[in-house]
Amino acid sequence: MSHLNREKPLIEAQDVAKSFNTQAGSVELFRNLDVRIMPGESLAIIGRSGAGKSTLLSLLAGLDTPTEGQILFDDQPLEQLDDAARADLRLQQISFIFQSFHLLPELDALDNVRLPLEIQGRKDADAQARHWLQQVGLGARLDHYPAQLSGGEQQRVAIARAFATEPKVLFADEPTGNLDDDTGQQIIEQLFDLNTNAGTTLILITHDIDLASRCQRRLHLQNGRLEEVPA
Amino acid sequence: MSLLTRLAARQLLTQLRTTEWRALLLASWIAIALTTLLAVLGDRLERGLMRESASLLGADLVLSSSRPLTPERLQGLPLQGIQQTPVIQFPSMVGQGDNLMLVSVRALQAPYPLRGELVTEPAGTGIPAPGEVWVEPRVMTQLQLQPGAQLEFGYQPLTVSRELLASPDRGTGFRSFSPHILVNAADLDASGVLAPGSRANYRILFAGSSAAVRTLDQALRPTLASHERIHALQADQPLTGNALGNALSYLKLSALIALLLSALTIMLALRRFSLGQHTRSALLLNLGLRPGQLVRVYLYQLLLAWLLTASAGILTGFLLESAVYQWLAELLPQALPPAHWLRWLSGAALGLALLVLLGLPPILQLARIPVAHLLRGDAPPRDRTALLLQGASMILLAATLLAFLEAPLAALGLLAFLLLGGALFGWLAQGCLLLCARPLARHLLLGRLLLMRLRQQRQWHRLQAAVVVMLLTLLSVVWVSRTDLIEQWQAQFPSDTPNYFLINIQPWQKAELDTFFAERALDTELYPMIRGRLTQLNGNPIQPQLNAEQQDHNTLRRELNLSWRAERPAHNPLVAGDWWQPGDTDAISIEQDMARELGLELGDRLGFDIGGIAVEGVIRNIREVVWTSFQPNFYIIFNPEALQNAPSTWITSFHLPAEQRALSRDLLQQFPSLTLIDIDQVLTQLAGWLQRLGDSSALILALSLGCGLLLLGVTLLQALEQRRFESALLQTLGVSAEQARRLDLLEFLLIGLVCGGLASASAEGVLAMLHQWLLQIPPRLHGELWLLLPPLAAMVFVLIGWLIRRPLRLDQCYRLLRAG
Repeated sequence: MSHLNREKPLIEAQDVAKSFNTQAGSVELFRNLDVRIMPGESLAIIGRSGAGKSTLLSLLAGLDTPTEGQILFDDQPLEQLDDAARADLRLQQISFIFQSFHLLPELDALDNVRLPLEIQGRKDADAQARHWLQQVGLGARLDHYPAQLSGGEQQRVAIARAFATEPKVLFADEPTGNLDDDTGQQIIEQLFDLNTNAGTTLILITHDIDLASRCQRRLHLQNGRLEEVPA
Repeated sequence: MSLLTRLAARQLLTQLRTTEWRALLLASWIAIALTTLLAVLGDRLERGLMRESASLLGADLVLSSSRPLTPERLQGLPLQGIQQTPVIQFPSMVGQGDNLMLVSVRALQAPYPLRGELVTEPAGTGIPAPGEVWVEPRVMTQLQLQPGAQLEFGYQPLTVSRELLASPDRGTGFRSFSPHILVNAADLDASGVLAPGSRANYRILFAGSSAAVRTLDQALRPTLASHERIHALQADQPLTGNALGNALSYLKLSALIALLLSALTIMLALRRFSLGQHTRSALLLNLGLRPGQLVRVYLYQLLLAWLLTASAGILTGFLLESAVYQWLAELLPQALPPAHWLRWLSGAALGLALLVLLGLPPILQLARIPVAHLLRGDAPPRDRTALLLQGASMILLAATLLAFLEAPLAALGLLAFLLLGGALFGWLAQGCLLLCARPLARHLLLGRLLLMRLRQQRQWHRLQAAVVVMLLTLLSVVWVSRTDLIEQWQAQFPSDTPNYFLINIQPWQKAELDTFFAERALDTELYPMIRGRLTQLNGNPIQPQLNAEQQDHNTLRRELNLSWRAERPAHNPLVAGDWWQPGDTDAISIEQDMARELGLELGDRLGFDIGGIAVEGVIRNIREVVWTSFQPNFYIIFNPEALQNAPSTWITSFHLPAEQRALSRDLLQQFPSLTLIDIDQVLTQLAGWLQRLGDSSALILALSLGCGLLLLGVTLLQALEQRRFESALLQTLGVSAEQARRLDLLEFLLIGLVCGGLASASAEGVLAMLHQWLLQIPPRLHGELWLLLPPLAAMVFVLIGWLIRRPLRLDQCYRLLRAG
């Protein structure tokens, strides 16, 4: 799979394969995968359950290593980075949004957003966190704990947390999977608006064709092969 | 507050609502409190009675003997630069009015002591002046003495001039615990209480520069006679501390159970906690926290928990220590100094070791969780590093516990006993459970499910049963035996069993004493008593003819009390041979255990050293002796012709009914030099010891039971999810919440009843063994155990199960099933 673009890709997977050892023997999820993701573009990876979407996302984000081939992030082969350097990469350049929100229950909305900024050592953590919560429409619910927020609101806090660190890439794993249609729709709108404004590269996994169609590109992972789906 | 501490504090606050953290905090609280109690009490005992042995000995070196030490004994010894003073210590009855009391008398000459000091009220220096006596508070109380009162001491009344609050040089063994009085040696002769041959301990205390003392020690040791001992500062075991030291070791071993249960509770609580932290750890790592920072967050959380439990634990330890000290205070020879302040922190230090060593492996494992867990649920790697870490932590923890207990062999023995006993009871309990559940399974609506659950949960049931049965057994045995054993032991004796021993009777007093008893219709028999050592067998030294175990036999390591008689003592039936006839001058009679253990037979010729004179005899018969009959008993009895000319004192025992107790007073008035030993008083003292030791260890075992209940809670938690899932499934299939709850309660009730039953049986077994072998009395059934333990254990299981298992609403069931 190739992508013709004269710009330099932000993430590039070259001839990547991934297999797992199970009790029944080795299971190969995919082989010879190539993908180039440009800065600022939005990309959806679609496919049926068990196709390996989450594994591919883990590889692209440097959370896992391929069995063969290599992943380049900003021209830097990820396998050459040790754990600390990868953690640093995640801290400075990557954010995630998860299907099940993953907020810390003992922190209120403001603290949940402020946490990664404080880990970065940002002096303006508080102001930034407030700003991003305003952006997702939760300016009035800063001191609410996750248990006091609806599912949609929790996902908005997660979105604010993801954008607050101003990442180069945002990975989203089924961001609307746990939400009803209306709320999911609102979240999608907000996610794409913020993404457009911030100029972040967005890579998302979804079953949702509507959501996928909002992305500039769609890749279908099926039978270990990755195919570009036309708009 | 830094980000990491803030996170840790918030985490802890949230976790405080969970059962596993509550169990963890309570378990470490109990562990810290118990360790503080034992460390502080132990240090006080050591400082008061053991470590300060210089003042405890009252000297740098002590020569002690069961025979008088004359100035000639010291001839030829390097005494330059050495200060010395003689002390004689012996038991005696003293009294005021109708009150009599057995005390340990120390007759002193100035200067005394050579090291340490006598603490008295009113304060002062020196020793009692002639005509004066200093007595310990126990004597003051029991004889209702006031300062200035007259104390009858043989023929010599003495004035109580001071109360003796603390003193070194208390002597060894049980005499060191008797109440003491100090008199001036000049009063001994006039009192007439000490005659030649009387049982007494004669000591010479030495003090000087360390070089001079070392030289004297080296010169003295080769000259020691068999009846002499040396107590030196460095080389010697503490004198008085032994019995208390043993008591402390016993308490520490009781505490080991609580510490092990706490450790297990903390370990299981942390395991459950860490299993619930996978997502959170992955998230924090994903948000940019480095693994090292994540470890610090969890360590801070443990440290905060430790701060909480250490403060509460030290405070509780202080209260417990005050209570136990109060219990033991009456038995202590003198007030104990405060503990070193660091000892107050030892419980907290052990608590920290427990938390960190048990917490570190799961925490380090959390730091290794892949961030991809958030996407795919990846678990942390279970590899050799994790196992090694776990193993290293366990070894370190075991070393810490053993170091604290200071009795590694006993601790390891107890550990092995607990593991073996636990395994046995675990299997037994499980077998009984299945046996009980099978008939229920046929008749109950959800019976088959109950049976299935008993099989599924068998590992947890085994652990729970092992812990509960062992604890209930130990607690029952300690509780019953603390009062019951001595009482039962005493109750087995016929009512006319002698309750007084009379010793130090001089030959010239014998006739007069016989008349005294005859006039009062008291049935007594006087026995001569001669001290001698067994040295030869069939004409050769005995030691080389025996094996190693026999060579160490009690009868060969000390001088024996020998006697002579024309007729067989009525209470000593013969088991072999026959009694001698007049003229059988070399015939002797031997006690059957001594004969068996040393391999001696009829016809063997034994040689004795009696005050430097060799005496021989041929074994003519073997006697059965019941040592607990409170009659005068002897290993060896000679024919009168062989020994009646040897210097001897006489001994007897007799029974005085309560209404005739005043007779003892008449006896002492007429024969002040005799030593009357009131067996009831001695037994009461012994019973007091056992009861207080029993109380203290029951307290520790009760705390262990607390730990056991926590462990029970945590083990029930381990399978909680499975229970909830099962219950949710049942409810969606049409079973009511009440029926699901009853199924759980039935399971808890069954296991409780089985554990209680097993605990009753095993406690009964242990008590029977104590009766049979220790007290040699027929075992009896303790119905109260059978009535109490099964319902108690069932109640405990049901209560804890009920507290942990909350009913599920239908909507919760649905959510649970969806998530599962």
